[in-house]
Amino acid sequence: MLLEVRDLHVEFHTRDGVAQAVNGVSYGVEAGETLAVLGESGSGKSVTAQAVMGILDMPPGRITGGEVVFRGRDLLRLKEDERRRIRGAEMAMIFQDALSSLNPVLSVGDQLGEMFTVHRGMSRKDARAKAVELMDRVRIPAARERVRQYPHQFSGGMRQRIMIAMALALEPALIIADEPTTALDVTVQAQVMELLAELQREYRMGLILITHDLGVVADVADRIAVMYAGRIVESAPVHDIYKAPAHPYTRGLLDSIPRLDQKGRELYAIKGLPPNLMHIPPGCAFHPRCPLARDVCRTHEPPLYEVSGTRGSACHFWTECLNG
Amino acid sequence: MPDHHYEPERAIAGTGMGGTMDLGVDEAETLEKRPEGPDGTGPQERPRSLWSDAWRDLRRNPVFIVSALIILFLVFISLWPSAIASGSPLACDLSKAQQGSRSGHPFGFDGQGCDVYTRTVYGARTSVAVGVLATLGVAVLGSVLGALAGFFGGFWDSVLSRITDVFFAIPVVLGGLVLLSVITSNTIWPVIGFIVLLGWPQISRIARGAVITAKQNDYVQAARALGASNSRLVLRHIAPNAVAPVIVVATIALGTYIALEATLSYLGVGLKPPSVSWGIDISAASPYIRNAPHALLWPSGALAITVLAFIMLGDAVRDALDPKLR
Amino acid sequence: MGRYVVRRLLQMIPVFVGATLLIFLMVNVMGDPIAGLCGERQCDPATAARLEREFGLDEPVWQQYLTYMGNVFTGDFGTAFNGQEVTELMSTAFPVTIRLTLIAILFEIVIGVALGVVTGLRRGRPVDTGVLLITLVVISVPTFVTGLLLQLLLGVKWGWIRPSVSSEATFDELVLPGLVLASVSLAYVTRLTRTSIAENRRSDYVRTAVAKGLPRHRVVVRHLLRNSLIPVVTFIGADIGFLMGGAIVTERIFNIHGVGYQLYQGILRQNTQTVVGFVTVLVLVFLVANLVVDLLYAVLDPRIRYA
Repeated sequence: MLLEVRDLHVEFHTRDGVAQAVNGVSYGVEAGETLAVLGESGSGKSVTAQAVMGILDMPPGRITGGEVVFRGRDLLRLKEDERRRIRGAEMAMIFQDALSSLNPVLSVGDQLGEMFTVHRGMSRKDARAKAVELMDRVRIPAARERVRQYPHQFSGGMRQRIMIAMALALEPALIIADEPTTALDVTVQAQVMELLAELQREYRMGLILITHDLGVVADVADRIAVMYAGRIVESAPVHDIYKAPAHPYTRGLLDSIPRLDQKGRELYAIKGLPPNLMHIPPGCAFHPRCPLARDVCRTHEPPLYEVSGTRGSACHFWTECLNG
Repeated sequence: MPDHHYEPERAIAGTGMGGTMDLGVDEAETLEKRPEGPDGTGPQERPRSLWSDAWRDLRRNPVFIVSALIILFLVFISLWPSAIASGSPLACDLSKAQQGSRSGHPFGFDGQGCDVYTRTVYGARTSVAVGVLATLGVAVLGSVLGALAGFFGGFWDSVLSRITDVFFAIPVVLGGLVLLSVITSNTIWPVIGFIVLLGWPQISRIARGAVITAKQNDYVQAARALGASNSRLVLRHIAPNAVAPVIVVATIALGTYIALEATLSYLGVGLKPPSVSWGIDISAASPYIRNAPHALLWPSGALAITVLAFIMLGDAVRDALDPKLR
Repeated sequence: MGRYVVRRLLQMIPVFVGATLLIFLMVNVMGDPIAGLCGERQCDPATAARLEREFGLDEPVWQQYLTYMGNVFTGDFGTAFNGQEVTELMSTAFPVTIRLTLIAILFEIVIGVALGVVTGLRRGRPVDTGVLLITLVVISVPTFVTGLLLQLLLGVKWGWIRPSVSSEATFDELVLPGLVLASVSLAYVTRLTRTSIAENRRSDYVRTAVAKGLPRHRVVVRHLLRNSLIPVVTFIGADIGFLMGGAIVTERIFNIHGVGYQLYQGILRQNTQTVVGFVTVLVLVFLVANLVVDLLYAVLDPRIRYA
C-alpha cells in the first residue's frame, strides 16, 4: 500500500462550536491506482486530503485521531520539517481553482522552478529550463515564451495544466487532485482530466481524485470511496458501484445524474439537506434522508459491513439496497 | 487607473491624526462561520435587518460599551461641568503657579496658577462641541455633494472629483494655519467652519461610492424601470444603503476633529485664551514641562481618552454594521 | 504605461492649480500682506502704497497669481519680505525636513511592517492584542501630545536625548522627532500589514506554497509578504507627502528649523511669498508622490495594466 489512512478524525473549533469534519475515515491507495473520493461539499473529503498533505489550517482544525501511513511511515508522527520535505516531492496536490491557487505576483516559471530550487537545490537557470520542460510536458504551447508570464495571462485550462505541471515536477509517488476540473469549462474538463490520467499511467503514480462529479469518476477511477458526514459510507471497485450500489446514499447520487435514456422523466434528488457537522444525527448520519431508514438506523451507527472481499458498505440494510 | 485610494481614509491622517482605516479589532475573520471546514456549507442564515443585527452585536461588544460610557460621561460634563467642578476655569492665582496637587485641587495648578482639574473638566465642552458640530457639518455637506455627484454622474461628478483632489492635496494643518491665523474671532465657529471646509471631501467620496454601488443594485434598477422619480429613488432606495458607511466614517472622523482642534489650538491658531481648550492648556504647559509636567499630562490624557473613545466607538459601529467595510 | 503617465500628469495640472490658487487666495485675501512688512508698527499710508506697488499688490489677485506662477516656473519663488530669497530659505529648510521624513519612513517600514507581520501571523494571541491596543492608542493620541510626552520622558526625565534639535539637525538628532512624526502612520502601517497578512495567510496560493513543501520562511517572505505588501507600499508612498506637510507640528515641538518651522514663521509674519512658495512645493511633492505610488502599483502587481 502506497498510502493508507486509518481511522482519521478531524474537528474544527469555531465560535459556534465544534464541527466534526472527519469521523474515522480509512482508505488506501496503491501505486498506479486511482481512488475517487466522492461526496457532497461538507462530507469531509477535502479535509481528509488536507490532513494527508499536512496543509490543514490548525487551528481551527485539529486532528484528534488516526494514522496516515505513507510508504511505511505514519506522517502524523513526523516533525513538521520532515513532512515538509515529503510535500511536493513525494506527494503533491492539485487544487480546484488554479487562478487563486497560483501566486498572482510571481511568474509561472518562478513558481514551477521553485520546486527544483527548494527541493533539489538547483540553480535558478536550471530550474527555469526545467520549468519550460514541464510546461511542454503538459502541452502548453510556446512554453519558452510563456514561462515568463503571470497566471492571469493564461486561460483557465492552461492554468490548471500549470498546476498539474507543478504537482508533477518532482515526480511524486502520490497526487491528490481536489476537484481538478470543477472550475473549468466542460470541453476543457475532458482534456485536463485526460492529461492527468495519462501522466498518472506514465509515472505510475497513486492518484486520489476528489470530486462530486460521478461522470468524471467512471472514466478514470479504479476504486471509489463515497463519503458522507465525515465517514466513508461505501467503498468499492468502480464497476461494482455503477452496477449496483450497496448504500442508499450512493444510489441517490447515481440516480441524480441526468441520463439521456431517461429523458422526460423527473430527475431524482436526495431529499433533505446535508447534515450540520456540529450536530451530526445519532445512529446512521444519513437516516433523516434515507428511504430505507428504520428504528435501528436512528440509534445504531452502522460499521463498514463487508459486502465482498473488495467492497464495503456502512448501511444496516446493504443487502436490501444491493438488490434494489 | 488602479482602483486603490487610501486618501479617503487619510484625509485627516496627514495632520498626524487618525483616519478611518482598519481600526478594527477585526477578529471576525477567525470567527468566520466555517463549521464544516474548507469545503463546508454554512448554516442557514435567517434574514435580519441590518440595524437590529448591528445593535445586537454592539450590545455584546465591550469596546462599544466602554467607549459609549466614556462618551456619555464627556457629553454630561460638557453640558454641566459645574456638576463635578465647583470653581471657575478662569479663576487663577499666579501665586499658586506650577504647584502640584493638594486637597481640593487634585490635578494641581498650571503656569498661570489656574486649577488644572477645573480647566480639564471645562475643556471637554470645547472638544465635544467642536467635534459634534464639525462632524454634523461635514456629514451633511459631504453626503449631499457626494450623493448628488454619485447619482447624476457625468460632468458634475468629474468637477466634484477634481475639487476633492484639490482639497486632499492641501496639508490640513497647514491650511488651518494659513486660514485661521488671520481670523480674530475667538469662538469655536471659525475652527468648525475650517474643519467642514477641509473635511467634507472625505465624506463625499464615501457617499458617492455608496450611492454608485447602491444605484447598480437590481432593485434600484427595477424601481427605476417602474418609473420611480429621482427623489423617491434617492430617499427610499439609495440613501438607506449609503447611510451606514457615512455614519461609520463620521464617528471616527469626530475623534480626529477633536484632535485637530487641539492641534490647531496648540499651534496658536485654533481657539485662543481666554477660551478653555485642552489644546491651549497643553500648549501653555509645554514651556513648564520640566517643573510642572502635571499641567501637561492631565489635559493630554483627557484629550487622548476622548479621541480614543470616539475612534473605538466608530470602530465598533463599523464592525457591527458591515464587516466587509474593512 | 507612457500614455498613462501623460494622462496622470495632465490630470495633476488642475489639482495643482486649484490647490495653489486656494492657498494663494487664503493668504492674500484673508490676510494683509503689508501689515507684516512694517513689523510691529503700523505702516504709514505712503509707505504702504509704495510697498504695494513694489510687490504688485495693487493688481487684481488672479493677475498676481499668474505672475507668481510664471516666476515659480522659472525658478523664482520671490523674496521674503525680510529680503531673503525664498529659494534660499528652501535650500536650508528642505534638507532638514527631508531627513526627518526619511527617518520617519524608515521607522514605518522597519517597525511597522515587522510588527504587522508578527501580529498578522499570530492573530488573536496576546502579542497581537497588545500591539493592536498600542496602535489604537498611538492613532488616538494627537502627534503633538505624543511628541511632548516623549520629549518629557526621554529628554527631560531620563535624559537619553537632548530635548531640542540643533540647527544642523543631523540624522542622530532627528531619530526621536522622526519617530514622533512617524507614530500615527507607523500604527497604520502595522494595522494595514497585519490585516493584509492575515487575509492573505488563508489564501489559496499560500496553501499551494505550503503544499509545495516550501520552508516556512520562504512561504512567508516570498509568497505571503510579497502579496501583502502591495497595499502597504502604496500607503507608505502616499505618506511621504503627508509627512512633509505634517512635519509642522513635530518641528515646532523639537524646535527643528525645517519646512514646518519656516512656514510657521511665514504665517505668523504674514509672509505671503514664503507661505505660498513652500506650500506650492509641498503640493507638488504630494502629487508626484501619488503618481509614483500609482506607477509602483503596476510594478508590484502584474495584474494591473494601465490603459
